Amino acid sequence: MLEFVDLQRSFGDVVALDGLSFAVAPGELCGFLGPNGAGKTTAMRCAVGVSAPDGGTVTWQGRPIDLATRRRTGYMPEERGLYPKMRVHEQLVYLARLHGMAAADAAASASAWIDRLGLAERAGSTVEELSLGNQQRVQLAAALVHEPELLILDEPFSGLDPLATDVMSEVLRERARAGVAVVFSSHQLDLVEGLCETVAVIANGRLVLGGRVAELTSRGGRRLRIEVAGGTAWTHELPGEAELLAADDAGATVLLPPGEDAGPVLDVARRTGRLLDVHLEQPRLSELFRTAVGNGATPGDEDPT
Amino acid sequence: MTAVRTVALIAGREVRQRLRSKLFVWTTAVISLLLTVGALVPWLIGSFGADLMSDPTDAVVTIAVVGELDEARVSALESQFGAIELEPVADDAAARAKLDEQDGVDLAIIDGASVLVAPTTGAFPGVGSGRANAAAEALALVDLLEDNGAADIAPGILGITPLPVETVGERDPTERVAGLVVANVGVVFLFGLLMFYASMIVNGIIEEKGSRVVELLVEAVPVRQLMTGKVLGMGIIAIGQATALFAPALLVLLLTYRDLLPPGSGVLVAAAALWFVLGYAFYALLCAGLGALVSRPEEAQAVLTPATMLALVGYFLGFIAIQQPDALWSVIAGWLPPTAPFVMLVRQAVGEPTAVELVGSVVLLLVGIVGAALLTARIYEGGILRVGARVRFGEAWRGSRL
Repeated sequence: MLEFVDLQRSFGDVVALDGLSFAVAPGELCGFLGPNGAGKTTAMRCAVGVSAPDGGTVTWQGRPIDLATRRRTGYMPEERGLYPKMRVHEQLVYLARLHGMAAADAAASASAWIDRLGLAERAGSTVEELSLGNQQRVQLAAALVHEPELLILDEPFSGLDPLATDVMSEVLRERARAGVAVVFSSHQLDLVEGLCETVAVIANGRLVLGGRVAELTSRGGRRLRIEVAGGTAWTHELPGEAELLAADDAGATVLLPPGEDAGPVLDVARRTGRLLDVHLEQPRLSELFRTAVGNGATPGDEDPT
Repeated sequence: MTAVRTVALIAGREVRQRLRSKLFVWTTAVISLLLTVGALVPWLIGSFGADLMSDPTDAVVTIAVVGELDEARVSALESQFGAIELEPVADDAAARAKLDEQDGVDLAIIDGASVLVAPTTGAFPGVGSGRANAAAEALALVDLLEDNGAADIAPGILGITPLPVETVGERDPTERVAGLVVANVGVVFLFGLLMFYASMIVNGIIEEKGSRVVELLVEAVPVRQLMTGKVLGMGIIAIGQATALFAPALLVLLLTYRDLLPPGSGVLVAAAALWFVLGYAFYALLCAGLGALVSRPEEAQAVLTPATMLALVGYFLGFIAIQQPDALWSVIAGWLPPTAPFVMLVRQAVGEPTAVELVGSVVLLLVGIVGAALLTARIYEGGILRVGARVRFGEAWRGSRL
């Protein structure tokens, strides 16, 4: 289990992490979300030893992450980094060996990932000769080449075209299925919703929402969308604990607390006019995100904290 | 994975990447060739000149003879020139004509009493007149000895082998000249090479910071090992390139002028190599720490100023020490790690440092290298991950976790 425990980090007067805690289990694919400056990059840099927390710890399998663990960790930094003048295969072998792999194993693994990520024809090219998309693939290969048991990826989908996004998604799923704990940050909430089993949403350096995506989206009652000929005046007479969430020209969305019968609400609506459409809605992750971090927050580029 | 293996991996990458640069390899090869040819130039000129001068010991000197030359005079000329060939001619006019037409005749001797020679031309004037003087002296000597009844010892006198000469007391003047050459050239090369390779290290560090690859490295490698590997790798390149540049030329000098090189030349060259290696370690480490404070190549020169100034002080003290190698201030500067490589090289070349001063200076410089490594490790760790604006020294110091 990868655990962030009460992590704290400040840069001067700026508090980047303010007691952040969450966990990712082996085999779990966790989306790490948060608005600009929420502290995602800082938390990840603390996990891989690039930055030191002022307080708290990051543990793997119950022990603070040390050099030996970091060598079994795959890391993709937010600011992509490779030697521009080094050849792709040679560079991957070098990085794998720095992570402790034997030379022969490193060469075999580098070749395998180069093939897997569609870079076979560019294995002998220097990194600076590649397109940005291919450089991104090499960066992913650099995180994977030493067969890590823990993957920490900062914005791995940033700048990828749809095909490359598919490849990246499949690789991450595959690694999680192989038992690797995967945590990655992203601002592409729909992609995270489709890919991840769990999410951790942070704001101002703290966890504000976390858990399994399915549970989060079904938590807090059902959302009933009702469209009635004759307008939405009926929403003023909602019975019981039913709560109006949104209304527009076509209809309204009503939140029903767990266990509440939908019948009385439908009866009220039906008195206004003919029922045109009734269906249950689940909240999107993006809505939960906005609610959790505050309506003013929007996903965008992360700042260096 | 052991620290040694990690450092070796990092150093190995530095070496491989540098050797892969065609520009680096070709530049080294061309400069090495030029230096080697340069070392051969005096020998080539010497050979050329020797041909012109027709060394008397191994070339036949042709002499036109008017009248008779007795056995004593022929022997005297043979003693002077080695092999000679006598060509009888009818009279003075015929001898002059042969010389004038350059008809294979080097000299003419008229009745054993006077010597004729053609005027000399070309790049090495004086060859002919030198022979004429030698012939005239030989004949005059025979005349003198004949007058005193001892003509038969003339050849022995002319072919005399001098007694061995030994210089005692003060240093051999040739050795002092060699020392001055090593001191002057050595200080210039030492400064140039130290600054060149130190700036190469800084450029390598800036490349890693600029390309952000350093985050991947720091995840897997302790900062000290990363820094050590980098300095070591560049050190191997520096020593390897310096060897490739200078060793062939030095070898040529040694083989070609073995008899001319003064005693102690080899020791001086070895000393220069030692001070280069130690000086490199000290300054490369300092520069590695300073280089970690910046992210852009154009900032490299400015950030290196403290190290450059230290090296410049050593450079100038080295030059001044040539005049006063054993003055008190030279001795003190020889003990201080930043100036020791320059000043001690000079003191060894033209002064007389004691064994205690030599060993003490090396030991203090080694201590200085360890100190520079510790200082740099802290600054390097505090600065290496801060990309963007130049990191202040104090910030890097405080930002380190070491």
